[in-house]
Amino acid sequence: MNQRSDVLTLEAVGKSFGSTTVLRDITLSVASNEFLTILGPSGSGKTTILRLIAGFEAPTTGRIMLDGADISQMPINRRPFNTVFQDYALFPHLSVRRNVGYGLMVRGVPKAEIEPRVEAVLAIVGLQDYALRLPRELSGGQRQRVALARAIICEPRVILLDEPLAALDVALRAQMCKFLKDIQRRLDIAFVFITHDQQEAIAMSDRIVVMRDGRIEQIGGPEELYAFPASRFVAGFFGENNLIDGVVGAVDGARCKVETPIGPLWGSARGPAAVAGAEVHLAIRPEALVLGATDGHRFVVRDAQFAGPTTLIEAQGVVAPEVTLRLRVPSGGTRALPAVGDVVAIGWSETDARVIAAEGSNG
Amino acid sequence: MKQRSGLFDLVLGTLALVSLVIIYAPLAVVWVFSNWQPVRVRGALQLAPFSWDSYVALTRNADILGALGTTLLVGLVSMLLALILATTFAMYYWRTAGVSRQIMQALVFLPFLLPPIVVGLSLLIAFRELDATRGAFTIVVGHTVLLVPVVYRLVLTRLNSLSPSLTEASLDLGASQWQTFRHILLPQLGSALLAGALLGFAISFDETMVTLFLSGSTSTLPIRLWSMMRLGFVPEINALATLVVVAAALATAVFGVMQLSGKRGER
Amino acid sequence: MDDRRDLWRMGWAAFCLGLPFLFVLAPIGTFILYSFWHNESGALVREFTLENYRAFFADPVFRNIYLQTVALCLGATIVNLVVGYAIALFASRRPPRLRFALILMFMLPLFTSYIIKVYAVRGILGHRGVLNELLLASGLISEPITAFIFSQSAIFLTFIVLYLPFAILPIYLSIERIPENLGTASADLGGSQMDEIRHIILPLSLPGVVVAALFNFVMTFGDFVTPTMVGGTEGFTFGRIVFSQFGVALNWPLGAALAVILLATSVLAVGVAGLAMRWSTAR
Repeated sequence: MNQRSDVLTLEAVGKSFGSTTVLRDITLSVASNEFLTILGPSGSGKTTILRLIAGFEAPTTGRIMLDGADISQMPINRRPFNTVFQDYALFPHLSVRRNVGYGLMVRGVPKAEIEPRVEAVLAIVGLQDYALRLPRELSGGQRQRVALARAIICEPRVILLDEPLAALDVALRAQMCKFLKDIQRRLDIAFVFITHDQQEAIAMSDRIVVMRDGRIEQIGGPEELYAFPASRFVAGFFGENNLIDGVVGAVDGARCKVETPIGPLWGSARGPAAVAGAEVHLAIRPEALVLGATDGHRFVVRDAQFAGPTTLIEAQGVVAPEVTLRLRVPSGGTRALPAVGDVVAIGWSETDARVIAAEGSNG
Repeated sequence: MKQRSGLFDLVLGTLALVSLVIIYAPLAVVWVFSNWQPVRVRGALQLAPFSWDSYVALTRNADILGALGTTLLVGLVSMLLALILATTFAMYYWRTAGVSRQIMQALVFLPFLLPPIVVGLSLLIAFRELDATRGAFTIVVGHTVLLVPVVYRLVLTRLNSLSPSLTEASLDLGASQWQTFRHILLPQLGSALLAGALLGFAISFDETMVTLFLSGSTSTLPIRLWSMMRLGFVPEINALATLVVVAAALATAVFGVMQLSGKRGER
Repeated sequence: MDDRRDLWRMGWAAFCLGLPFLFVLAPIGTFILYSFWHNESGALVREFTLENYRAFFADPVFRNIYLQTVALCLGATIVNLVVGYAIALFASRRPPRLRFALILMFMLPLFTSYIIKVYAVRGILGHRGVLNELLLASGLISEPITAFIFSQSAIFLTFIVLYLPFAILPIYLSIERIPENLGTASADLGGSQMDEIRHIILPLSLPGVVVAALFNFVMTFGDFVTPTMVGGTEGFTFGRIVFSQFGVALNWPLGAALAVILLATSVLAVGVAGLAMRWSTAR
């Protein structure tokens, strides 16, 4: 296990504007060289966290710590963090090189030293030939790279990125994801990245913080969140999930028996959801369901949607019609596709069934 | 294609033409008199042949030239003061919240909204209470009070059009508040400040009503004209008046061209 | 370090509040105070009294001049409104380039010197002014008409020359704001040009008319320079009375009180305009 040194820590941070509470009890830490994504729908408070870290707002409760020292009240311009803004915030009257060199200029770095450093950073982001252009002469992607260069040159401890890819078109976005991840690895510093797009989060992050209504829902690596969502919300955020309602019957270590409408099912559980009597969902990814399993449960095919390489099948339980499962099967292939009305057996491996807390229960 | 009522337009057009003549006639007459001086020949009015005499006489009239100098000086000083003060006030409004900025703004706008006669006599009374003598200083104060709301409005409008992330970005990169103002905000305000300077200078140059209360023995050009109108004329007045009109027209043209041409950038 | 920051903030706030207070609020406050004091044998007595206001309301001379001035300014305003509306309407019915040029031509005089315009008008209207000379030369009259200058009518005419452009612009802007397709719709429904003007343009441009009227009235009512220059002894307006208290008459408290009345009149005009605005855009 790598020794993790945390550069930044938020301890029980809360933020209210007047009578509106935007953030509640936020506790997280950022390692010195990790790519951390804060993911959530709009209104979840993710941008507010960024602004608190950068210093544009001060926390109402809790503390922000840098290397163990409380910086909650430290003014923006003294914090060793730099921000890449959603609208890039390039200074319109300054050329690219003056924009990038701004942070050094205001610190009194001599001009002779600024120029080579600007050139070096522009080379990193691939804009060496654009030094004399003005922001209005650049494309969206180029502007974003200038904003990044401007942040990098000051050698901050953390770079904060506020939904930087939101204004770019889809093709460019994928490119920029890779680009940002590369740069982060090269620079070996922490990136805190804000987005509402789970694909971006999965593509780039070392860890993801899932936010909802001002609270942290879950923190973990992409695979972990995908495989072990702690709540229905997180489960729904990352791809599709089949959810079967049930109540926990018995707990056996990491396994749970859940009483469901289609009978008792075993699933793997981690964490506080696995308590006898708790209301839970059994979450199974569509790709984990197997058609024609020998010990499968009986379902009636209600819909089969051709989607190119795969076909999405929706099936209703024979024994318990309120349970609906969706699964994906390859469209071509040796086996014929089931037709609507066919009764099929659907099965899955126990390890692919996750037990997660139901909404409304404290889990 | 809309149906045009020819008669209606004719009536409107004639009215417009007559109004145009009435509005411009005074200025035209002044110009004519400057180059074709009016003389009385046996009681009837006649025009002397074309000459530049009145303009030449203007350059020799120390009285008028002195007043012109005072006007220019007062205009320059008031304009600069107004620029600095108005920018400071606008920054305060833009960067703070709460009731104090509203009070400040209301007070800043007040001299613009009040009739000039009220502004003039209020300042006169205030100066008297302070035992201040009237002169160039009091005129400058009066003009500055009048110019600040105009410049303030221009600067604040421009500030409001700026994205707040510009200031945030500057601070985020380590700049102090003053550095942010100097390097980022001030350049953005350039056009508003220039417009304010020109407009302010023009207003100060022509200001009559408030100045009448505050001038004492010093004279700006409008004050000089005022006293001349009550006491007596010299032909140079027509020359001066024509020059002022031409200057105003030129300034407007320059201003218009400036607005139309594009912005530059620092490379 | 933070203390220094707070000190700067406080200083800035003190500056931004202090200066307007000193140079705007204090003088206005003092002026209002003055209206409640009075002069006794040339010296200022700082005791509260309503004498000045009583003088205004009781003295028929004051009252008459006040009402006369109101009538004069209302009259000039109305003329400017009518003529201004005609001009704005005419301009709005021309193709765009011509429209812009027309409005510019009417606005240009605004950028020339106010006092020079007054001086110029006086030159035309005088006993031996251009107007009289033209009329004499053409044989229409045998003696110069003295009524042109140094009279109420002189003030009236000068007000029109000076303030007509101020009326044109707001009206023109409000006419311009009316969507083009309304006129087309009216024509489509069988309306004539006159119908369009009466039922669409006129009602929708009323806000601009209200603004123009307000500007014109408040500016003319407060203008004392023009009446002094062209009014002579006959043309005594309320503004002149106020001004003279600070000149030869040297009764500052009375002047202040009368100025308060002038201010109140302007404020009243703003209130009326506000009501008219609401009325004109209601329905």
